[in-house]
Amino acid sequence: MSTTAAEQQRNPLEEGLMLRRKPDPCVLVIFGASGDLTHKKLMPALYALMLRRLLPPRFAIVGVARTEADDDAFRKDMKEAVQRYARDEFREDVWEELAQNMHYVATDFADEGGEQKLERLVEQLDSEQELGGNRVYYLAVPPAAVPTIVKELGKRRSASGWTRLIVEKPFGHDLDSARALNQLIRRHFDEREIFRIDHYLGKETVQNMLALRFANGIFEPIWNRQFVDHVQITVAESIGIEGRAEYYESTGAIRDIFQNHLLQLLALTAMEPPIDFTAESVRNEKVKVLRAIHTPGPKSVVRGQYGRGYVEGEEVPAYREEKGVPPDSMTETYVAAKLYVDNWRWADTPFYVRMGKRLARRETTIAIQFKRAPHPPFEETAAEGLRPNVLLVHVQPDEGVSLAIGAKVPGQGMQIRTVHMDFLYGGAFRTGMPEAYERLILDALLGDGTLFTRADEVEEQWLLVDSIVAAWQRDRPYFPNYNAGTWGPPSADELLHRDGRSWRRH
Amino acid sequence: MPPNLRTSVMTHIAWVPKPWLDQARAALAGMAERHPSRTILLVPDPGATESRIDAQLSLECYPVPDVDRNVCSEVIELTLCGSRAQVPASIVEPLLISDLPVFVRWRGEPPWGAQELDQLVDLTDRLVVDSTEWENLPHPYGHLAELFERTAVSDIAWERTSRWRALLATLWPGIAGVRTVRVHGTAAQGQLLHGWLRSRLGRDDVRLELVETVRLEGIDLDGEPAPFPPGDPPSPSEVLSEELDRFTRDRIYEAAVRAVAG
Repeated sequence: MSTTAAEQQRNPLEEGLMLRRKPDPCVLVIFGASGDLTHKKLMPALYALMLRRLLPPRFAIVGVARTEADDDAFRKDMKEAVQRYARDEFREDVWEELAQNMHYVATDFADEGGEQKLERLVEQLDSEQELGGNRVYYLAVPPAAVPTIVKELGKRRSASGWTRLIVEKPFGHDLDSARALNQLIRRHFDEREIFRIDHYLGKETVQNMLALRFANGIFEPIWNRQFVDHVQITVAESIGIEGRAEYYESTGAIRDIFQNHLLQLLALTAMEPPIDFTAESVRNEKVKVLRAIHTPGPKSVVRGQYGRGYVEGEEVPAYREEKGVPPDSMTETYVAAKLYVDNWRWADTPFYVRMGKRLARRETTIAIQFKRAPHPPFEETAAEGLRPNVLLVHVQPDEGVSLAIGAKVPGQGMQIRTVHMDFLYGGAFRTGMPEAYERLILDALLGDGTLFTRADEVEEQWLLVDSIVAAWQRDRPYFPNYNAGTWGPPSADELLHRDGRSWRRH
Repeated sequence: MPPNLRTSVMTHIAWVPKPWLDQARAALAGMAERHPSRTILLVPDPGATESRIDAQLSLECYPVPDVDRNVCSEVIELTLCGSRAQVPASIVEPLLISDLPVFVRWRGEPPWGAQELDQLVDLTDRLVVDSTEWENLPHPYGHLAELFERTAVSDIAWERTSRWRALLATLWPGIAGVRTVRVHGTAAQGQLLHGWLRSRLGRDDVRLELVETVRLEGIDLDGEPAPFPPGDPPSPSEVLSEELDRFTRDRIYEAAVRAVAG
């Protein structure tokens, strides 16, 4: 066969090879390169991708921050971050390969001239390494800095290649600010070029919810109001605000966790099966759920703030005693709510959600509690130890799935007890679990937006948050109302007791 | 402390004639951590005067990362003495874990047409061989091809060429007109790469020149060395582990073997 004829044919040698799609050559520009996120998450993730040879063959990294430093100092700082935070063993050869194309620009985008300095460097790297004009901008900066950077980047778009913009949370502060930010970004970037990160979606166990629901024939027929009594979603943290008083005072639990992670977990639990696994199909189904969430009345939402208490045996201060927090702060560190998804599948099925800081332990779970057997033919005492069937998805820690079922206690008579069938991720799959940021950065480099949040999803999430927060303006709860190291305020328990239910036993 | 977790994702049978025993144990030791399985090691000793089964049972435990628990799976080592070595299916059938896939790793060249091979081929979902362990290549590939309709087959020698195949694929379309491929590697790797190129390119006129070495060290195309593939070659455990991740027939491998077998 002549080479010309072969060129027109599909490559037969690729057939059957386990080839992963590799991203195109590109430059990744990280704004906020001296920040915590870059040290703890982004750089370790890039190192992990380099170790596994998943980065493009020609790839450059440019760190941008206000801190004065040069390329060498930046590389040294990033090397220490990788050595400290990476999940893999540190390999000098891998690091060298990554670091040789790593650069740093000390600038403040509010200053005249900063953007030209960056542009010159990016263009130089582009032409030296033949990156095809492909650029990924990662905005790991405080929300206030985003508009200026977006405007400047928009003005200086590369004439060739593709451009992608990764935006960290929080995406706005309320519906109006999120809409304004969306409008601003869309003036310069197409929706397909925007990657709004909610790192929960990069977690393996969150994606496993899709596998569990849509790869198993046994769950889907009973995944509805006829068989499910209610759903409980818990995002509990045992840590406090870790010195981020300024940030937390402006967000609180509802903007920090509820608006993004929690509503995304709910959407994945409640969504209809997508027709395929493309970004648009999955996001179309998620946004339908978000639109169907009924705005909860004031009695269906509980907020709390932790007082002093003990976590893992250690005495911890109250929220109002944390450094930087005003002593009369009314910021909530806990939210619980009863939500309804008003659609054919879920009408009248409550979704109880709760999230908070300084709770008894770190745990993110989704519990699907099924209705009781209609008529157990056993004596009442025999089934005293029997609880309803619960399918429990452990998002973190102890990643896995367990199903609570009733089983006969061995011996004479008929005693029934609840036992657990467990699937522990680390037990069946012995390969290390990738960090969420590895998956998300790689997906952004590949241009796959499935695990990122679309503009309409963000706006629906804010719409719900705004309506809850609006109701809060009318009352002033007595804070603190729960001790650190407990499972939240008593009113959260009452929220379920009123319905004859209780939070899942821990 | 939480209890240990007993887990298996498959039943893994290894047919290991005595000369292969140490190598097999070493590969299994590295593999079991990634694929917790019930492992049944069958050591045939057909020449033994007495017909009996000697059994040894052990438990392998590995910590689960970030969780205070161990994952444990069992290793059953059976020495099949005398006539027992001819009827392995009846011995392993009761030991298989229901509903989980069964993989058979056959060490050395299988005794084509023998009862013990036929029995294990019929109960396995995948037969894993390493044609590097065989003599008189390419002759045995013809026998192997006869098994393709009965079970899925993997060849570790083939898996070891995967990095090179991925690299050669990047040379398309220039590679389409290649006339001679010189392989610096084992006879099995040379034959399989040659068969692969012929079957994928749909050409019988590609010539093989084999420079035998203990591992795949290089490939020349019409006298020009192909670039070296990136990354490190995988360990024996990693290669076996890769094979155990597959559950369907490898049609590309089958076509390569058929091209070699003629």
